[in-house]
Amino acid sequence: MSKENDLIIRVAGEGGEGVVSTGDFIAAASARAGLEVYTFKTFPAEIKGGYCMYQIRVSSNRVYNQGDTFDVLCALNGEAYELNKHLLTPGTAIVYDYPGGDFDPVIPEGVHGYPVPMSQAAKDLGSYRSKNMVAMGALSALFNINEETLKQVLTKKFKKKGDEILNFNLKAFDKGKELGLALKKSDSWRVADAVTPKDVIVISGNDAVGMGALLGGLEFFSAYPITPATEIAKFVATHIPKLTGTLVQAEDEIASLAQVLGASYAGRKAMTATSGPGLSLMSELLGMAFMGEIPTLVVDVQRGGPSTGLPTKHEQSDLFLAIHGTHGDAPRIVLSVEDVKDCIDMTVDALNMAEQFQCPVILLSDGSLAFSTQTVPAPKPESYTIVNRKRWDGQGKYFRYAMTDDMISPIADPGTPGGEHIATGLEHGANGAPSWVPANHEAMQRKRFGKIQGLAESYKPVEIDGEGEADVGIITWGSTIGVVREAVERLRAEGIKVKGFYPKLMWPMPVAQYEAFAATCKKILVPEVNFQGQLSHFIRAETSIRPISYTICGGLPFNPVMIINKVKEVL
Amino acid sequence: MSVAALHKKEMAPKEYKSDVSVVWCPGCGHHGILNAILRAVSELGVDPTNMVSVSGIGCSSRTPYFMQSYKMHTLHGRAGAVASGVQLARPDQMVVVTGGDGDGFAIGGGHMPHMARRNINMTYILFDNGIYGLTKGQYSPTSRRELKAYTTPYGGPDDPMNPLLYMLTYGATYVAQAFAGKPKVCADLIKGALEHKGFSYVNIYSQCVTYNNIDTIQYYRDLMREIPADHDTTDLGKAMDLARGDGEGHRPMGLLYQVQQETMDERLASIVKLVGGSKDYDQNKIINQFRP
Repeated sequence: MSKENDLIIRVAGEGGEGVVSTGDFIAAASARAGLEVYTFKTFPAEIKGGYCMYQIRVSSNRVYNQGDTFDVLCALNGEAYELNKHLLTPGTAIVYDYPGGDFDPVIPEGVHGYPVPMSQAAKDLGSYRSKNMVAMGALSALFNINEETLKQVLTKKFKKKGDEILNFNLKAFDKGKELGLALKKSDSWRVADAVTPKDVIVISGNDAVGMGALLGGLEFFSAYPITPATEIAKFVATHIPKLTGTLVQAEDEIASLAQVLGASYAGRKAMTATSGPGLSLMSELLGMAFMGEIPTLVVDVQRGGPSTGLPTKHEQSDLFLAIHGTHGDAPRIVLSVEDVKDCIDMTVDALNMAEQFQCPVILLSDGSLAFSTQTVPAPKPESYTIVNRKRWDGQGKYFRYAMTDDMISPIADPGTPGGEHIATGLEHGANGAPSWVPANHEAMQRKRFGKIQGLAESYKPVEIDGEGEADVGIITWGSTIGVVREAVERLRAEGIKVKGFYPKLMWPMPVAQYEAFAATCKKILVPEVNFQGQLSHFIRAETSIRPISYTICGGLPFNPVMIINKVKEVL
Repeated sequence: MSVAALHKKEMAPKEYKSDVSVVWCPGCGHHGILNAILRAVSELGVDPTNMVSVSGIGCSSRTPYFMQSYKMHTLHGRAGAVASGVQLARPDQMVVVTGGDGDGFAIGGGHMPHMARRNINMTYILFDNGIYGLTKGQYSPTSRRELKAYTTPYGGPDDPMNPLLYMLTYGATYVAQAFAGKPKVCADLIKGALEHKGFSYVNIYSQCVTYNNIDTIQYYRDLMREIPADHDTTDLGKAMDLARGDGEGHRPMGLLYQVQQETMDERLASIVKLVGGSKDYDQNKIINQFRP
């Protein structure tokens, strides 16, 4: 059950029935009212229709995850009720389409039921399509969702479509409100009151990656459509031409990374974004980027695998692929994001690292962040540091792969007189010409590995949540961090000594920091959403820590109570 | 064609040669094609500083090493896709791909149609020897069924493809063919390709003296027929007729097809123009769209 000023509403129904827009409106209105928002949605892989749910968590405090379960369910149809009724525990509330809908639910003992004839009211108003507006009006009346800001966001959205459509939707909203007010409220669930609005944007993880890419100075993007990453390409396609950049939709993921390597060789900041199946296809070219020392960024929005797997579902199971997925010895820099804010900031970091270290960088996001919209401080473009690759100064004879103190060799872009050189996947000497000399291959491998090794300790220190000694230390990554943050806070409130360790740089691994953290904890628990315990594997391989692996892979993220229960179990 | 690269230098063909020694077998047709390329760039006064040569994997994919220019030796089958990225990112550069029939049409076959239909402003020179030479003689997508090769000891089970028809079908805007035994013809067709604005494809038959004992230089001499001088190179149907062959097993030599069409980089540039793109665009305008 949620804390005070922290409400979770789940809107559920048939895809195409306005579930998503309802959720978006509530999220935007709440953000406008100065509140923090974290949304979470699931939808089917089918093209049209199917069950769809959108969960909005609203709080006057910072929210880190989608929460344990909902407080309020808004069921737009019988299927939505059927699929969620097991979560209707005493104290929860359900707003449902009745009479006139396709179901007549039995409201369990202790659950607050609010029948609202959404379909009927919409039909009476003249369009079934306004059903979600009626639902939203009722939710607003029953749960204190700020009416003023809701109407502002509705106006912003529908104004473009003309006054007639706007007024029709407002009328449907008012009708819902009237129906809601007519009901006797028996629970105490309410959205927190409006506070002073903050300087925020509300943005999804995928859009945020696109925004970060532009803020990081991206000039060339090549993409191939894949769920759940395609929105990144859509964002970039829409906005990059404004900055004179280029987006190409390639013929496959291999071509998209191939184009990125070509564009980067040609001197442009370039990236692609994909999901696991695409990253699998790209693995040979990642080796080429490593060997040819070509600055490259690949964003992998992980989804349920293996193979086609669960394309629209959440999983964190590409860590092995991201760190080691190609033939030969060819590691790369692997970063992972916790939340939507990271999607912006760490895409900038990732582009900078690719430029600085002249190697492939993989940024891991995941399915639950891809579509999660969150309130994020509005980025300030001038506040980002942009790194450009070390370029040749034109002095003397040019050696593309010259050995230097930091093992990073200056690059000459095509068009630079005297800088003509070859970028090649063959082992080569300093001038790029093929070389099979044993000592050269060893020296070149040391160069390519060595240049990124120091990053493990030079990147910003891993965040440690908590101080002193702990009975259980939790190490986790990706969007699971947000779940663990809340679990740690709640466990601490119960007097249990827990700490969190939240790495964002997955490779090279800051081993010393892992060891130092583990030294302060009696036990180490590693929750992650994959079958094998992929981070646990790397911890065992690279450190002396022997963690307790806690894995789930049902297509959904953890929620805080799962972590809390597990910690109590291992204590 | 790239304005930045053309008519900038006065260099003899041999000055375009790098100091990396050519590794092909004596008698290989590729020597003739390399010389034709060097001759073409010399005659056009190409500035090597503004030229990017890209290749994949195979005997012919070694070509960039032997030339003065910016160059990329990429992965098997990926040269065209990498080169597309170079060209679209840097339309000011002259981009040339060199590669073989296996590299281009087997493993790289997924990329070929897209370079053509996008009309990427670059030149693809395909060294067609009907064999995988670097892996010691396996049959390729252009091998004749009669070829008894490494993995086809009883002859090939599948029919060869027709590269010219393929390229014409997918929308290449310059399609030509020759054979390595005619270096002057090769050089002229490559020159035309380099000067052409749009995707230009030059198919050059090349004898493999080591692994293909049926497609000899004499075989190609008998095979090739010069395209009649009165052929209308803007007529796609007639170009396709030529590509199909004359019904007596001969193959056309010369320029089959050439038309002017908007290139992909021009289309992308017009999108930038459409949205009023500028390096100084205020990103806050994008950020503000996400305010609630």
